[in-house]
Amino acid sequence: MPITNRSYWPVVASAVFAAVFVLLFLYLEEQWEIAVLAVGLVAALYSAVRFGFLGRIEAAASDHPRTTIVVNFVAALAVIVLLRGEHFALLMLATVFLYVTVCLGLTIQFGYTGIVNFAGIAFFGIGAYTTAVLTAHTGVPHLLVIIIAGLVAGLIGSVLILPLLRTRGHYAALVTIAFGILFRTFLEVSDVLGGPQGLKVPGMQILGWSLNDNISLGPLGSVSFYASYAVVALLLAAGAYILVKRLERSWIGLNLDAIRTDETAAASFGIDVPRWKIFAFTVGNCLAGFAGAVYAMMSGFIAPASFNFGDSLLLVSIVLLGGSGNPLGVLPAALLVVVLPEKLQIIQEYRFLLFAVLVILILRFRPEGLLPRKMREYFAAWSRS
Amino acid sequence: MKRHYVTLITLLFMLGVAGCASDDKETVKVAFIGPLTGGVSANGLGGRNSAELAIRLQNADSSSKYKYELVALDDECKPNIGVQVATKVAADKHIVAGVTHYCSAVAMGTVDVYHKFGLPVVVWGAVLPDITYGNDYAEVHRVNGTMINQNEVAADFMLQQGYKTWAVVHDTTDYGKGHNRYFSKFVIDKGGRIVGTFGVSADQQDFNAELTKVKELDPDVIYFGGLAPTGVRLRSQMEKLGINAVFQGTSGIVSDAFIDGLGPLAEGVLAFREGAPVEKLPGGESFLSQYQQQDFGEPPEAYGAFAFAAANLIIDAIEKVGPDRKLVMQELNATRDHDSVVGPVTFDEHGQNTVALITRYVIQDGKWVVWEESEYASGKRKLPGS
Amino acid sequence: MDLGFIAQYLLNGIVLGVIYAMVAVGFTLFFGVLDVIKFSHGDVVMAGAFTALATYAGLELLGLGYPTFAAVFITLAGIAAMALLGALLAKFLILPLRNAPPLNTLLITLMFGLALRESVRLFYPNGSNPKPFPQLLPDLSLSLGNLELRFDSVLLIIVGLGAIIGVHMLIERSRIGLAIRAVAQDPETARLMGINFERVVLATFGLGSALAALAGVTNGLYYSEVNFGMGLLLGVIGFSAAVVGGLGSLYGAIIGGFLFAALQTIGAVWFSVPAYKDVFAFACIIALMAWKPTGLLAAKSAERV
Repeated sequence: MPITNRSYWPVVASAVFAAVFVLLFLYLEEQWEIAVLAVGLVAALYSAVRFGFLGRIEAAASDHPRTTIVVNFVAALAVIVLLRGEHFALLMLATVFLYVTVCLGLTIQFGYTGIVNFAGIAFFGIGAYTTAVLTAHTGVPHLLVIIIAGLVAGLIGSVLILPLLRTRGHYAALVTIAFGILFRTFLEVSDVLGGPQGLKVPGMQILGWSLNDNISLGPLGSVSFYASYAVVALLLAAGAYILVKRLERSWIGLNLDAIRTDETAAASFGIDVPRWKIFAFTVGNCLAGFAGAVYAMMSGFIAPASFNFGDSLLLVSIVLLGGSGNPLGVLPAALLVVVLPEKLQIIQEYRFLLFAVLVILILRFRPEGLLPRKMREYFAAWSRS
Repeated sequence: MKRHYVTLITLLFMLGVAGCASDDKETVKVAFIGPLTGGVSANGLGGRNSAELAIRLQNADSSSKYKYELVALDDECKPNIGVQVATKVAADKHIVAGVTHYCSAVAMGTVDVYHKFGLPVVVWGAVLPDITYGNDYAEVHRVNGTMINQNEVAADFMLQQGYKTWAVVHDTTDYGKGHNRYFSKFVIDKGGRIVGTFGVSADQQDFNAELTKVKELDPDVIYFGGLAPTGVRLRSQMEKLGINAVFQGTSGIVSDAFIDGLGPLAEGVLAFREGAPVEKLPGGESFLSQYQQQDFGEPPEAYGAFAFAAANLIIDAIEKVGPDRKLVMQELNATRDHDSVVGPVTFDEHGQNTVALITRYVIQDGKWVVWEESEYASGKRKLPGS
Repeated sequence: MDLGFIAQYLLNGIVLGVIYAMVAVGFTLFFGVLDVIKFSHGDVVMAGAFTALATYAGLELLGLGYPTFAAVFITLAGIAAMALLGALLAKFLILPLRNAPPLNTLLITLMFGLALRESVRLFYPNGSNPKPFPQLLPDLSLSLGNLELRFDSVLLIIVGLGAIIGVHMLIERSRIGLAIRAVAQDPETARLMGINFERVVLATFGLGSALAALAGVTNGLYYSEVNFGMGLLLGVIGFSAAVVGGLGSLYGAIIGGFLFAALQTIGAVWFSVPAYKDVFAFACIIALMAWKPTGLLAAKSAERV
């Protein structure tokens, strides 16, 4: 018998609120509308924190993990359905889901295990380039291509395992920074992989159905082909989310947390530190690779300039901004980092300045990120079993 | 500094006005895409201002059938962002056509998007041949020339001047690599010799190691394929190592930024650009003076005139056939000998402007001067090593 | 290969190494006292150079553009401005985040760097284009065969190394240096001993940023050109140099700086496509980290349980 009998309605309410917000955020274009929306969000978040709604929502979410996933998934699907004809909004939404997937991978690496990865975009890029090469030269079915792309990203990541296992903290950070820069420079000079001009990637085909075609609904208008990609990206992100949540709640998650908190203590308790570090690093990179593969097919064209060190830093920003170690925080943070600069197009050359100032302000006044990770709730979990 | 605020405020104001104006003329939207932030943003801003100028002049004209509005977007010179904004523009049914892209890599990534959505665009700065010749898309046009003709003329000209050996330094973007490919091909075919080729990254600061190698090879000419910021660094470090070779650039350095960045060191640098010099053309003089009058914060740069011409081509087409993407596209495809500030424009079956006039430039006393009118051509001054 | 060319490569490498070392020393200082990475450091280098440039424009307006005087004056102006900026950054962005996860400091400084870079690009007159840096040092050079020995290179090496040695002396010999070392070793105990923690942190950030400004100005004088993006790679390289040398060690930063310069120069000479030199340099760094996980010179710290 559960001791705390918390209802799941806060989860539903927050999901509906989030969906409406995302919908408006993607749909609105005028600068004053966006300004009103931003002010509204800040007010809503502030009151949520101030009056304890946020705590209630999070508590409810941890009580009802399955309901949370289902409700949020349905809410995301609803957003896609409502936006069905809006190509650009759907492209942004799909991109957000893909970034969420990569950042969930980073959450396993950094949020749980404490391995900082400053080469996230490189593994995303490995997935994308693997896809480009495989689709151009072989007839491997596309779903398989995505899986192979993820595995290749994990495999290439293993080059870094030795230096990563031997180093810690900032020293480990340098290893991934060096790899991230090396990767981009390598792509630019390597003629085999298209050099700076990049490679074209065909659209995704699943069981003979091409995702690059718009779907006509007869008199009801047509559905953008980006809607299909948004659904694929959503499925990927949802899968990654379930994986991460399961990991967190399992004994593996406990091991990873122990390693992050104190490696030496973890080792003295008999935790096989290298093994779990390799596990976390590889799984994270695979997730980045999957996302990269879908991204390549969706955008149809990849070039080294898309996989800058700066983009890796953006990924890390998403994780930190969301609240390191909390997979739920990744979504709002990804929305902010991916879509906001796009919405700021209206101020053209001033947009990055404003973006930087906004992030500084958020961090200054909410240094733990938007949704900081909660302590494990041992008693709540035990009470249910 | 103050001027930037003024630009910003005017822009915001204009957007506001455009949003709620109850003019009796129908409002037609035209997009502009270019790099407004990042390393080559000077060119992007110059292009945006020039396109904006074309729109403002048209709106000031009372005989105009429509009221035009420019939607300017930033592609950051990155293909992934380029695809995003291209989708945004192409999916917006209110936008009839676009003046798009300075960076070749971005244009390569976005042509498919324009084709898919049927948005007619006119490229105003990207020079990679494949953008128009690599596909059969009727939507894609280009007012500026490609790097092929530019380099053929460059090779001919330099060999005529009696130079025999080249060291090529190019950035590893497709712009630099493409220039290296075509120039090397032409110069070797015509009997010149390339003694060394150096690919460098575009954001590299220090070229001493590469240049010391160049010094060892002792070429007559250093050919540089890349954009102004890298060119400035290369030229000034060349001087410090005491390399006394001619510096020959490409269209990417034909900008005021290059001269401003180098000061007196810029003297005697050669470069080649498609199209006649703006001030020599009918309407060119007025373009420059109108640009001055509008009090933009930034200079038009080398490709501003092309953006202006591209915007005007689109406006003329819309005035003629109305704001319909398909009709505008057909009208643009039929462009023959259309007058513009960069000379008469004729699109071939790939939408490429075929006017193959290449102007040769040399920097003399802090200005880009057409070679034939320079004191170097008349023999009054001499290039290094000749 | 001709001896003159070898000497030339060596000289290029040394100048590059001095610039890298100056940036790396900053990273090492910040890490020492606060255990943070300040990723805006490269942009502070850039801002220092632009401050000097703006000061020179002011001097010219006043008719005071005498080369030697101007060179000294604008260097000092850049140093003072950046020292102030560094201290302000520490006070308002870094210290308040002391109790947040350490990487958040990294993110906030990263964004600060972006803001700094964008501000220069947008608000410095015509700032999106590269700017020529005034030639204030005498244009003397000695041609020894194929070696072009320039006065400004030699001066830059002397000034750069002198500044690093100066910082070293300051830390080893002065009162504030003692306080910095105390805080670096154990902030809590240092506080108990009556050391004003905040003041020490501000002083360290001021000092590191001043050195970055010096690096920026010498960079400008040496290359005769500055641009708003110049700090981007410089910051990453400075960080790499500091880490490879061993964070917290001044000698390590110097060795790291020279090592990185050497790797790049070797890479550029060795590969037919010089752009591979960064691939080469960073690959070597990864290998080095696998071999020496705490850097070349870091003190072996006992594991605390």
